[in-house]
Amino acid sequence: MSTTVTFSREIANLLHAAGGTPVSACMQCGTCSGTCPVGDFMDVRPQRLIRMIDAGLKDKVMATRAFWYCASCYQCTVRCPRGIDIAELMYGLKRYTIWKNQYPEDLIGPAFSETFVKTIVRTGRSYEPVLATSYFFTLGLKEMLAEAQNATMLMLKGRLPVLPARIKRLENFKRMIKRIIPIGD
Amino acid sequence: MTQKKFAYFPGCSLEKMAESYHLSTVEIARVMGMELKELEDWNCCGATAYFHVDELLAHTLCARNLAMAEKEGLDLVAPCSGCYKNMHACNAHLKKDHDLADHINFALEEDNLRYDGKIKVHHLIEVFSEDLKEVKAKATNPLTGLKVAPYYGCQILRPRKFEHENVEEPRYFEDLMSAIGATPVDFLLRLRCCGAALIITNRQAALSMVRNLLQNALDSGADVIATACPLCQVNLECYQEMVNTEFGTKFSVPVFYFTQLMGLSMGIPAKRLGIGTEFLSPPAAMLAACRKAAVV
Amino acid sequence: MSEQKQLLIIDDDPDFAEGIKSILVKANYSVDMAHNPKEGWAALENKKYDLLLLDVMMGRGAEGIMIARKLGKDTKFRELPVLIITSIREQMAFLFPGGAVHPNFVDVDELLEKPVEPKLLLEKVSTLIKAAEAKKK
Repeated sequence: MSTTVTFSREIANLLHAAGGTPVSACMQCGTCSGTCPVGDFMDVRPQRLIRMIDAGLKDKVMATRAFWYCASCYQCTVRCPRGIDIAELMYGLKRYTIWKNQYPEDLIGPAFSETFVKTIVRTGRSYEPVLATSYFFTLGLKEMLAEAQNATMLMLKGRLPVLPARIKRLENFKRMIKRIIPIGD
Repeated sequence: MTQKKFAYFPGCSLEKMAESYHLSTVEIARVMGMELKELEDWNCCGATAYFHVDELLAHTLCARNLAMAEKEGLDLVAPCSGCYKNMHACNAHLKKDHDLADHINFALEEDNLRYDGKIKVHHLIEVFSEDLKEVKAKATNPLTGLKVAPYYGCQILRPRKFEHENVEEPRYFEDLMSAIGATPVDFLLRLRCCGAALIITNRQAALSMVRNLLQNALDSGADVIATACPLCQVNLECYQEMVNTEFGTKFSVPVFYFTQLMGLSMGIPAKRLGIGTEFLSPPAAMLAACRKAAVV
Repeated sequence: MSEQKQLLIIDDDPDFAEGIKSILVKANYSVDMAHNPKEGWAALENKKYDLLLLDVMMGRGAEGIMIARKLGKDTKFRELPVLIITSIREQMAFLFPGGAVHPNFVDVDELLEKPVEPKLLLEKVSTLIKAAEAKKK
């Protein structure tokens, strides 16, 4: 279907409440890519990702993993000379792909975020052992062993919770959430 | 210290994984004469994950904590950089966006709470750094000879900065370490990210980030890395062995919370500061302070 | 023939909005579109509409609900019929699998879930507009 709304515009709509300037303000200086501590591991660095969004390459952007590699360190955001809130843009793209359920299947990031949110919605607090289930079985054997070793060490040092914590006014909390996301029984 | 009483938001990590951060915080607050009143029935700040899914919900979670602190009439203090950043940012958003505040207040009604934007959010290190004179006076067991790499990490500073601090050239962590008698080293990568949750979601990237930090800390001559965030502590310490396996390195760099170092300098026995739950033993200068503290 | 009814669609999915717009235009409605909550609100302030078709998940989260609540509190807009068209169940399926949508705390007139059957859409639109007019008289 033909539409007059460009992909760049669609992303700007997603970020309508954020403070930064739109990606079209980018002058391709490369400060973001140069300053990003994860840049070496991204399939597309931030500077190029922004150019791709501006050029309306929606399918290519959606197939990118780069924004799931963002650690939210905000170095790009505070250094962008054009005032683009790049870390916020990465959040926006994550949200966009989660809502559309459109992300590369082998990524751990989305599953981890979803598990995390589920835990909070149900108990009000985070619980590390449950989070581990979102990624443990995606690991190779060697990594699995290393992970188990780490967990054992934490346990021995008394640093792993045995029981999940939960807040006291959980029923109020759940009703509060329902007023924001009007869904559920 | 101008302010002496705060609503204290420990955050999920400090319940167990980073319990030593909590214990040492409580101990030094007592010595400093600061009252930290734990926020009753606090909930998770949402970490980064919540913002990946639903920002309105993420703000609601933070706002519930803010509203509870407001009810107490106290500013909120958070020891975890992630919690601090989320609640600080939420506070800023709600203060300027009245539609958002109104909508979130509608949700908060379910828990008989209301946000009116009357309080501030501080990071724990910020409140201790505000009165270095007092810190110095209490540091009766100074950590002489201990070379510390003060690791700021990310969210303690970014995306915003403390009103009095430069986001690119902060000095308060160094100054705090000097105040307790330790020697802060020039740690070039002190503002560089530890990888945070990438240690789970993109391990290769995070391990490499941790390796760079450890190498730089060693190169700068540090005996120990001091952190102000549970996620940084766990990444830098608990994943060090994985870094060694991955890169064939032989790192063995102890990583402690700044509150544990402060506590030692105040003569508080190591055990009460959670020292002993770490993977990597304290360096010699710290052990010496531990022995003295036990005697004091 | 009566004068053309003025409709506004607020939906962040441009393809979906175009789709329902073309259905409504064919049925002789005049249709404006806004693709984010901020522009949507500005449109409502600038022109008098006979009906609002409102998406839920936009921008930061369920911002459609924010708009619906704000409309309900404003005497200027209280009469405006609101038809929510959402796929929130699909978008948040991982969190509340199988949960029903229930924004019963906001004053919306009808709720449809995407994808929307054209015939049903036109039916709802015409019913809501007629009901609103009857109320005015």
